[in-house]
Amino acid sequence: MAVIGRTSLKGIASGRSPAWMAGLVALISLLVLPWGRTDRNLLEFDSRLLVLNQAPWLGGLLLAVVVVLTLSSLLHLPLVQRGYALAGLGGAGFLAGVGWLVATSVPFGVGAFIALTALLVMVGIGLSESGIIQNDPFVTSSILLTSLFVLLFIVYPLFTVLRESVLVKGVFTLNKIQSVLTSPLFISIENPYTDHSEQLLVNLTTLALGLLGAGLAARGGFRWPRVLTGLGVGLLLGWIVGAGIFGGGAFPTSLYLALIVAPITTALGLVFALLEQRSRAAWVRRSLAVVSLLPLITPPFVFAFALTYWLGRSGIITSDLLGLKTSFLFGINGVAIAQVFAFTPVAFLILRGSVQGLNASLEEASATLRAHPWHTFRDITWPLLRPGLAAAFLLTIIESLADFGNPMLLGGDRNFLATEVFLALTGRYDPNEAAVYGVVLLCLVLTIFGLQRLWLGNTSFVTVTGKPGAGNFSPLPVWLERTLQTILALWGLAVVLLYFSIFYGSFVQIWGINNSFTFKHYVDLTNLGLPVLLKTAQLAFISAIIATLVGFLIAYLVSRQQFWGRGLLEVGSMLSFATPGTVMGVAYILAFNTGPWLLTGTGIIIVLALVFRNMPAAVRGVISGLSQIDKSLEEASTLLRAPSSTTLRRVLIPLLIPQLLAGMVFAFVRGMTAISQIIFLISPGNTLATVLMLRWIEQGDLGRGAAMATVMILGLLTVILILFAVSRRLGRGTSLEAAV
Amino acid sequence: MAIWKRNVRWWVLVALLLTMSTGLAQQRVVNVICSVTQNWCEALGPAFKQATGIDVRIVSVSTNEALARLRAEQANPTFDVWFGGTGDPHYEAFKDAITEWYRVKAYNDLSPVMKAAIGTTYIPLYQGILGFGINPKVLQDRGAPIPRCWKDLANPAYRGLIQVSNPNTSGTAYTQIATLVQIFGEDEAFNLMKSYHRNVAEYTRSGVAPRIALGRGEIGIGIQFMHDLVEFKKQGFPIEIVAPCEGTGYEIGGLSLVRGAKNKANGQAFMDWAVSPAGQQVGFQAGIFSLPSNTKTPLIEGIPDPKDFKLINYDAKKFGNPDLRQRLIARWTREVFPLPRR
Repeated sequence: MAVIGRTSLKGIASGRSPAWMAGLVALISLLVLPWGRTDRNLLEFDSRLLVLNQAPWLGGLLLAVVVVLTLSSLLHLPLVQRGYALAGLGGAGFLAGVGWLVATSVPFGVGAFIALTALLVMVGIGLSESGIIQNDPFVTSSILLTSLFVLLFIVYPLFTVLRESVLVKGVFTLNKIQSVLTSPLFISIENPYTDHSEQLLVNLTTLALGLLGAGLAARGGFRWPRVLTGLGVGLLLGWIVGAGIFGGGAFPTSLYLALIVAPITTALGLVFALLEQRSRAAWVRRSLAVVSLLPLITPPFVFAFALTYWLGRSGIITSDLLGLKTSFLFGINGVAIAQVFAFTPVAFLILRGSVQGLNASLEEASATLRAHPWHTFRDITWPLLRPGLAAAFLLTIIESLADFGNPMLLGGDRNFLATEVFLALTGRYDPNEAAVYGVVLLCLVLTIFGLQRLWLGNTSFVTVTGKPGAGNFSPLPVWLERTLQTILALWGLAVVLLYFSIFYGSFVQIWGINNSFTFKHYVDLTNLGLPVLLKTAQLAFISAIIATLVGFLIAYLVSRQQFWGRGLLEVGSMLSFATPGTVMGVAYILAFNTGPWLLTGTGIIIVLALVFRNMPAAVRGVISGLSQIDKSLEEASTLLRAPSSTTLRRVLIPLLIPQLLAGMVFAFVRGMTAISQIIFLISPGNTLATVLMLRWIEQGDLGRGAAMATVMILGLLTVILILFAVSRRLGRGTSLEAAV
Repeated sequence: MAIWKRNVRWWVLVALLLTMSTGLAQQRVVNVICSVTQNWCEALGPAFKQATGIDVRIVSVSTNEALARLRAEQANPTFDVWFGGTGDPHYEAFKDAITEWYRVKAYNDLSPVMKAAIGTTYIPLYQGILGFGINPKVLQDRGAPIPRCWKDLANPAYRGLIQVSNPNTSGTAYTQIATLVQIFGEDEAFNLMKSYHRNVAEYTRSGVAPRIALGRGEIGIGIQFMHDLVEFKKQGFPIEIVAPCEGTGYEIGGLSLVRGAKNKANGQAFMDWAVSPAGQQVGFQAGIFSLPSNTKTPLIEGIPDPKDFKLINYDAKKFGNPDLRQRLIARWTREVFPLPRR
């Protein structure tokens, strides 16, 4: 690679340095762009805000540094010595600039942002040319920049949440954690209205499941470690189930909900994946193709919204058909049903990968040896499926814990962790309490991610793209095929009915009360919702482009370059994927509300939140794309003495255009449908479609909400279909797995 | 230079991003945080723009959320004016120096009763009276009587039939707690709330929300401000309105200027307009039936008139006090809300 070419020249080489370009940018922005600002307006311009007027000594220092470095970069000087100067002086300038911002708490201006970024690029070039870091200048600068972004927009906000949970009004205390964890909103077990003791029931359930777990573990031979693990897992699950059924409070409720949703969703996902691979019926394939699109085109909580039409207190099924006046939908039941509908396609997309990774020849061999189909399934298929199932199961648990919209609409009188984060901040205005809930949620999610790593090792659970082996899969037994098809048909029918009810609801005056046809809701939507929709599309589009570019850069760095801290960069960039949306939203509002990084109340913070939310998907998409491109292409380019920036532009990007395009469209779609991470961040002029829709539905403008949902679904569907058409013309398929 | 030519695609991309982000810039506006119903909030912008040429940018959130938001941004407010919502949070915001008092041009025309109740803390915008919304058919099907008094709500016949908002997010709910405390005394009021807690189907986030389930026949009783119920009734929902026999409380909807507002002059212009007859009639067009504060505003039919009801002497100053407010909400959140309802 580039290192080979340079080490031979090291020490004697001299010449110009590309750092002059960055230097020029820094110089211009220092001279003409505002260093700080007085308010949220980033485009504010006032000569008093120039760095030379605002902080003369800092301005002088930075200008001197930049001028010296720029001039020396234009001269033919020894690379190594100048590299040291670039890295040392540039680094000092960067630290002085950041230090001034932090010390004075002046919100950064455009000039500061550009100048500091340019300085960092110069540092990167210096580190590379001096040989301190064995990568070429472009790569080194990219490493520094992406690390800075990840630190500032992922790690720092999360750190703020941790800090707020123990730092109340500037004083370190654990009281807040204690008072939240003991509050009845968090856990409450005893019910004073009943004669029996709920605590006793919970204890009994815990014990029973604990013993059951130990018993199951001991079945295959009594070994202490196994039995103890079984006992521990059983006790844990027992407590969750017991406290979820008999008790209340956000903590047991959320866990219990996840435990209900995950197995059902995983099972349905497996059914769909098996059908897709082995069913001969054409309708099955066609409907599964639609199923795989659903999570992309469905705004959050739309299923929850539609469910109230069918199963609500005056729903078609519950009230009109069964004559019940029941609130059964509002609480764990309703949220669980809505989540099963929303997450099954996700589980399907994950399991599809591992089902396709199955090896047909193994099954053929087993059949040839006259094994009973059941034995084949138990001894061959099942063990191969287990990692995929575990991945789908754990991911569903995480999605369920982090889900915000469904509990918001259908939660009824139960509390959930993700909504409690929101209510603590917006309702009770207790940032510390919100932070404690956020930390609890974060710990749970990270524990589950940890478990997954432990079980599945480092295998990526999203795209298991094994090469399909030779041989043909034996079709499913007829009875099994029938059963699975029935499940799919029922599920599909339910989804069609749910979508239809949204569509229908948008065209009637008042659903169920006055069913006469009207365009009223669409007229209202055009007047009131259209500007918001356009704004949402604009913000989502900007964020999609940036997310794709940054994601691409990070993916390239972590998969094609060797450098210290590579693992950290990868983990850091994935953190925002693992973090539940509400927690990230709280983190952003706590971190960027005051001080040098003031960004709340602007459209930019929404863009940033979306960028760092959707970037991990782009990273994974590009990494999987890169793994299919042989390194020799890049090596050839490098040997022809192209710097890595040229290699990227001329070799990798053209080859990866389908992945980049798909990544961008998915980021756009996810940006349009995001709610949990941005509901805190909306501001005048920057209201988003999902938030407006939630507000309409909550206030009873159901028709208008339905019209908005219909327009969004159709719009997103169009976008996705265009993407498919384009990628077919480009000659490569687009994998939906990356979008999950 | 060659560099420009070679990278033309990238420059186009950068230019595209820049032009798209210019949309994020802003001019001659007033930023309003709005805590009345969505319809009313949405009607304000076009009407004010037509009257003055100033753009209105509105975020609508429930009253307590608005207070939380303004408090969070106290050092650096995004909003200029806080429009509507129950008065107690407006009073609290004034006490905590989040808002400031501004004497609107039409101040002399405003209802003397409303002005006397709140002094120079915020500007009265409208008056709303707390009541029960009833869906007679639902109650009939259950064989439950129509509730006439606060104490009737504890009747087990109403199990799962009541909706009321959550004081953590809704100003309506706090007005109701304060009303009960003033009628019955604090402990007695909390016992009452605990006694009907089991009958509550759901505590809604927004104070306006119970009427939805009520109108759809999902519940039988919704406790909220009467004017929102009148609006729904006029839309054709089968509901009736009852005023509780022990007396009922009321809100004085507030209008406040945010302290340190970035567009102060525009904000003041907006406030002047909002309490003028022309501004208050915007509410009527949006289907609002609360009693407007400007005595010169011509009324329309259907507005609940305070003279027709047994109103308590609501102590706005005492119950707008932040400490008491927070204590009562915290007590409700710890003692009433988490109790199971099975």
